[in-house]
Amino acid sequence: MSLSAGPIFSFAFSPPQRMRHLLKFFQDSPHARPVYEMVSNHFSLRSFPVGSVFGALRSRDAGPRVLLFILESALGIVAVILVAAFAHWSGWLLPVALLLYLLIVVPTALLCGFWQAVIVSLSVVFVHGYFTTHRSQANLAVDPANSVTLLVFVLVALVVSRLSARVNDHAREAESWGGQMRDLYELTRRTLELNLHVEPGPQLAELLHEIFALEAVAVFDADLHDVYQAGYWSVDPREMAQNVYYFGSSDDDPATGLGRRVVRLGSVPVGSLVVRGDTSPLTNNAIASLIAITFDRYRAFANESRIETERRTEQLRATVLDSLAHAYKTPLTAIRAASTGLGEMRHLSPGQADLVALIDEQTSLLGDLTTRLLTTARLDAGEIKIHATQVGVAPLIEEVVISLKDRLASMKVVIDIPDDGLVLPCDRQLMVMLLTQYVDNACKYSIFGSPITIRVVSAKAEVIFSVHSYSPMIPMADRERIFNRYYRSSTQSNRTSGTGIGLSVAKRVAQIHHGYVWVTSDEHEGTTFFAAIPASARKESA
Amino acid sequence: MNQHVIRILVVDDESAIRRALRPPLMELGFQVMEASRGEEALQTLRASQFDAVLLDVNMPGIGGIETLRRIRSFAPRLPILMLTVRDQEEEKVEALELGADDYVTKPFSTRELIARIRTAVRRVRTPARSEDSPIEIGELRLEPVKRTVTKRGLPVHLTRKEFDILHCLMSRAGRVITYARLLTAVWGADCREEVEYLRTFVRQLRKKIEDDPANPVYLLTDVYVGYRFADAQTFAEEEAEVAIPQSVPEDAP
Repeated sequence: MSLSAGPIFSFAFSPPQRMRHLLKFFQDSPHARPVYEMVSNHFSLRSFPVGSVFGALRSRDAGPRVLLFILESALGIVAVILVAAFAHWSGWLLPVALLLYLLIVVPTALLCGFWQAVIVSLSVVFVHGYFTTHRSQANLAVDPANSVTLLVFVLVALVVSRLSARVNDHAREAESWGGQMRDLYELTRRTLELNLHVEPGPQLAELLHEIFALEAVAVFDADLHDVYQAGYWSVDPREMAQNVYYFGSSDDDPATGLGRRVVRLGSVPVGSLVVRGDTSPLTNNAIASLIAITFDRYRAFANESRIETERRTEQLRATVLDSLAHAYKTPLTAIRAASTGLGEMRHLSPGQADLVALIDEQTSLLGDLTTRLLTTARLDAGEIKIHATQVGVAPLIEEVVISLKDRLASMKVVIDIPDDGLVLPCDRQLMVMLLTQYVDNACKYSIFGSPITIRVVSAKAEVIFSVHSYSPMIPMADRERIFNRYYRSSTQSNRTSGTGIGLSVAKRVAQIHHGYVWVTSDEHEGTTFFAAIPASARKESA
Repeated sequence: MNQHVIRILVVDDESAIRRALRPPLMELGFQVMEASRGEEALQTLRASQFDAVLLDVNMPGIGGIETLRRIRSFAPRLPILMLTVRDQEEEKVEALELGADDYVTKPFSTRELIARIRTAVRRVRTPARSEDSPIEIGELRLEPVKRTVTKRGLPVHLTRKEFDILHCLMSRAGRVITYARLLTAVWGADCREEVEYLRTFVRQLRKKIEDDPANPVYLLTDVYVGYRFADAQTFAEEEAEVAIPQSVPEDAP
């Protein structure tokens, strides 16, 4: 409400903001009234221009204020009449009377306002003129010096009135700023207390509406792509709020009372704010910043909760898998013992023996699956800790090949280890799991009669294991995903048995060792699975 | 192979497993008694004579390992086979160290179990062999006194340590020798953790005694537990079909 600049009477010209208030009164809206009250509490009607007074007439509460204005002016005029009459009868000279007049005008300006003081000052001219018409020595018309004196008096009275009004204005302005600061502080405090379990937009809109007594608020959350509003909007603010965000148009329109802000986090726009009401541009900036901070807190909180939820889900899943796998073990053992026992009893017909063999075989498969599930569950639950020792690579590969010899019986396996004495700090058991998975995989998918090549290359900082086989090409899109749990390549899903767990175990094992896995695949060159394990041990576990 | 009946005590808290084992064992001439807890097994064992015990590791109450320890305190030569599950390698090793004769991993095949029981029982019943008498398993022959090994009559050149390892394994053929025990026997107690060292030697040894080192038939690995030399009976009686019963994980992850 900067009114201080310019000449005295610039005050009389309605600045745009006051025009706005005037416009407001003409709105036949229930929302106009509380806003008017709010404004009039902050900015006393006494300092309002005539236009406002006129506007105030429209308001139900404006009546007493106009009456007060008239009463104050009337009291001032009565005081002037009394002094003038007293001066007339006492025969005082004009300067003495004027000093007395000043004693009336200055308190009027200080206590009541500029316009009351103006009316009282002008009344002095008329009243004094009236009383002195018949006194030649004091007659204004007779003695020009008297006119000048009176004119000087009016000017002095106006200057004093203006100055006191400005002092009052500044005081009120400061008070208003203080109020806005208090509101901002309140907003800050309340945003810190927001419930971050739900989206912050609606809460923020309500808070702004309540604390700043705004007519209407719209908050756009770009992340959730939703506009939240509070208060009364005559038009739907959604489009406007989104446009502010998309076009980055932050401005204040005094004519409509609309403040628009892009809500930015650093330089990144995260939403927008549109308010209609009586807030300064600076306040709007501060509000936008607070909204940005709240949005950010919400995201961080949501992210944290999501990670926590995921961790818990994973833990629960691992626990369930673990207990399931354990629960399966006993029935599986009983079935296998029974079926193989039946086979041992040796008086089965060939058909019966076949069926018993089938039961045995399928039980083994089920047992295999259970063990894999158990291993994955443990790996995922982080239960398996790395026991790194210096492991000889050649015996390691040999052990893997030997352990798979049933499956590799019909395959040609080529082992290519350039350095027989190569040792690697790793968890032997886990590395056996990884390599077994790779070799087993190669076994499953390789073309009949083609060789499987297990190769170890010692690079600078890592040892790279690779298992190559001539198996169908893995589509580019699948090469990353096949290492995810339960993912089975679309080209292979119907061809061989498998759980879709194994390669995820391989990946996990490599990760635990701070290594990584990848696969190359080519129609002619075949498929190679790689695992790179750092050649120097790291202390921390998975 | 054994003329008189083998009396066996099956100790497992799961009745389904006991029920599944009883008929085939009885059919094959075993006399089967059952116990569902370690405490019960100890009572039964004190009350009557048995030729072998099948003992589950995971049981409520005092559990399999403690039961084993207590049985060994009064029956040091009774063959005891542990029933374990895959991810309990430490317990397997512990059981073997405590004097268990062997172990089978659930889910096991009854055929393999019976073969193991017979091997264990036979070992106890065969009169103790002199430390210095030659050992002949399959085509391999080891002469402890001369410290020579021959395969199909042809000499196999072994280093001192290789010979010691082979001797240790062959003299206990058919039984699992844990890494720690083998290391202690050959290198002394200070080296019982040096499994990688042992693996390197075993690798060399396989190259010398096996026809196909990648497909061993004599020197077998019990993954995570130790090594086992194939039982002489395997080559004498059976075909290659049960040559490597337990030592190969059929469901390596």
